[in-house]
Amino acid sequence: MHSRSKKESIVSGISHIETVDGISEYLLKKNGLKILLAQDNSVPVAGFMVTYHVGSRNEATGYTGATHLLEHLLFKGSEKFNSEHKNSISELLETKGARINATTWFDRTNYYEVLPAQFLPEAIALEADRMRTARITEKDKITEMPIVRNEFELGENHPAEALDKQVWATAFQAHPYHHSTIGWKTDIEQVPISRLQQFYEDFYWPNNATVTVVGDFEKKEVLTLIKKYFGVHTASPKPFPSLYTEEPAQEGERRTVVRRSGVNMIAIAHKIPNAHHADIPSLALLAVILSEDKTSRLYKALVDTVKATSADTYCWQLHDPALFETVITLAPGVSHDFVEKLVKKEYENIAQKGVSAEELQRAKKSVRAYAASRRDGPYAFLSSINEDLATGDWKRFVTFPKSLEKVTTKSIQQVAKKYFVEKQSTIGWFIDTSS
Amino acid sequence: MKKISSSILEISHENMRFFAAQTKSKDVVSIEGSVLGGKNMLLQNKSKIPELAAELFDAGTSKKTKDEIREALSSRGAAMSFFSTGDRICFLASCLPEDVSFVLELIVECISDSTFPVKELRSAKERMLAELSEEEHQTHSLAAAALSRLIYEPSHVNYIEKISERKKSVELATRADLLSFKKMLGKEGLVLAITGDISPTKALKSSRAACVKLPKGTVVLTEKKINTKPQKALSELITVKDKANVDVYLGTSISLRYTDSLYVPFTIICEMLGGGGFTSHLMQTVRERDGLTYGVYASGAGFAGEADGYFRVKASFSPNRFSESVKVLKKEIAFFFAHKITAENLTLRKTEMIGEYVVGLSTSKALASMLHKIGIEHKKVEYIDEYPEIVKNVALKDLKKAAELISVETLSLAAAGTFPKKV
Repeated sequence: MHSRSKKESIVSGISHIETVDGISEYLLKKNGLKILLAQDNSVPVAGFMVTYHVGSRNEATGYTGATHLLEHLLFKGSEKFNSEHKNSISELLETKGARINATTWFDRTNYYEVLPAQFLPEAIALEADRMRTARITEKDKITEMPIVRNEFELGENHPAEALDKQVWATAFQAHPYHHSTIGWKTDIEQVPISRLQQFYEDFYWPNNATVTVVGDFEKKEVLTLIKKYFGVHTASPKPFPSLYTEEPAQEGERRTVVRRSGVNMIAIAHKIPNAHHADIPSLALLAVILSEDKTSRLYKALVDTVKATSADTYCWQLHDPALFETVITLAPGVSHDFVEKLVKKEYENIAQKGVSAEELQRAKKSVRAYAASRRDGPYAFLSSINEDLATGDWKRFVTFPKSLEKVTTKSIQQVAKKYFVEKQSTIGWFIDTSS
Repeated sequence: MKKISSSILEISHENMRFFAAQTKSKDVVSIEGSVLGGKNMLLQNKSKIPELAAELFDAGTSKKTKDEIREALSSRGAAMSFFSTGDRICFLASCLPEDVSFVLELIVECISDSTFPVKELRSAKERMLAELSEEEHQTHSLAAAALSRLIYEPSHVNYIEKISERKKSVELATRADLLSFKKMLGKEGLVLAITGDISPTKALKSSRAACVKLPKGTVVLTEKKINTKPQKALSELITVKDKANVDVYLGTSISLRYTDSLYVPFTIICEMLGGGGFTSHLMQTVRERDGLTYGVYASGAGFAGEADGYFRVKASFSPNRFSESVKVLKKEIAFFFAHKITAENLTLRKTEMIGEYVVGLSTSKALASMLHKIGIEHKKVEYIDEYPEIVKNVALKDLKKAAELISVETLSLAAAGTFPKKV
């Protein structure tokens, strides 16, 4: 299950760090690039991903959304791979059937290719090149900005997204989780190219990245390719800009309202610690018990009784302290106040009386299915381990499901008592103004 | 390369088709299947009955209460859901390997023995009405439905009723309607695919043991009425307040079914024009060159059950650039059909589609879905390996013929959002 050896691996210049549950970690010694390999030759498909440890938590007012806009600009070509050479990422890989894309989130940015395995070398070469030689130009920003703005507009069409932005902005005042990853509209429109170039220069280095390869490959071959292409880069010459802002203690309940045409919604959020805190497994299972399926407490109390059309609880597991959030779409004629009181009562009930052993058992059973689903194909694996990488420890991919097994009814009651505290809460209402 | 079909077991029994394949996905079993029976077999004012039935299959049978069903699934970490398409009631499930038999038996029990309790029906109707009210604010759904009404006559299976009509159909639904619909469902035309961490032999044995308990079923598929609505460049703009983005559909009904020889060439044209990635003509021009949209996609739709489907292009635009964007979109579609259907582009797209196909089958769920589709479309299991060859064999002349089915001048426009005063 677990082996640890800091010896030279099968390829010189690359150390084997450890292997956990079939996932091997390596280090490219020259520049500090971390490498994760999960070989599975059952189908002729491979996945390649570079996760940069930079996200919207590294932004500030004036350049919110910069990480995401920069992510878009990294598709505009690099020194060796570009449209003039007829080998841009689309031309080189998408035309071979690769599923290519990138995503940005609070704590990370990832670029990935899921592709027929024989094209893996091209993906490695391209990702290595754009790590340090991407073209980030004013000309490209001018055409890309409206595309990103339209992505912002698409999100604004959905009441849930509009409400969520306000809830996080209200809950977090100093910490950059205050703003959403897409950023504020005027920042998207006006951020100067020099800021984006600086952002790239600050964060896009091998020692701020992890490469993950999954699927159909041979270890020696793929490590040799990674060394060949990523090994041309040096480590960052200076330390990465650190985030030293901590969210000040919240000293009272906060509320926010969005009045707009749409559907009535409510969000109830409470502050919780970061992903590595010992209370997170209990909070994660509490979220399952509240809203995972049709046996969950909020489904039964709200959806089954037609007080709402949906009820979803999220235990956000992030690099820094985050939120435990329930989002509900109200059925017509049901008041925000009624549902808010009902959810709070349910929370209070759990804090006072706990959850049943049967509820916990069901939640734990769903964990086994969840853990298995994360390995169903290269894309599922990459997208899942990416979120663990974002928290700063990829091994959560293996250890977190196990930590959930240790949760007890008592620990769930304890976290409910500890975190469902009014002064740590933020309540958001989306009020439909159309009728 | 080893043929995928060689690892798939198939059996047919009493007009049912069962597929099973073992994959290396540990602890994951995916189940996808369907029985015949849908809104296409009912009168128009009963159009929401299959959807309501699908919603209520897990709300109680003569042997189990709603809670017993749901808790039995949840306690096993399993998930099961039903939904309706025009011709079929479909089911999706996922579970751990040791629970496959249980889940299959439960699916069969829900389809054949659900009781549709009055209280549950009342709640389901209220929920559906609430969801339809939500749809009044959803620009993409509004635009998609409006396009269907612009290009199809009301009696066609691809015509989507207005929300008010759908609400009426929900309001009129009775328990007797649901029970009568349930009687139609049975073995006839059943297709079931199981993939994942399970021996195919065991999976097929469990499938057959469960499904033989279904009644025979009374649904007979009849040939669908062809659309006779003349295609004109109609347009409908639906104003929805406070929307930051306009969702746009351009489309036309075409005289084509998936069983026709031009169907695959038609899908290649859609991929060339606006396939899912960044290389399509519309993504390269309307998005990458002009920056007018986050996404623009072309596809065929409405071909299920051998219906004559339609060609559509979907895009999202900023309200203040709506008119300009639609103009560019139409111009680029016309330019594509006039100049971009070339041998070179065909070769490129074939490689892309074949690669995508291999990538797309790399999960248990996707494999189950593909096998279910093969079953519904009465294809042999070998089709799973033949598809890349079929794509490879498409010639430029086939593409040109397929392109003739689409009249660019008659594309109708449906859009929903908040429009500037002058559009």
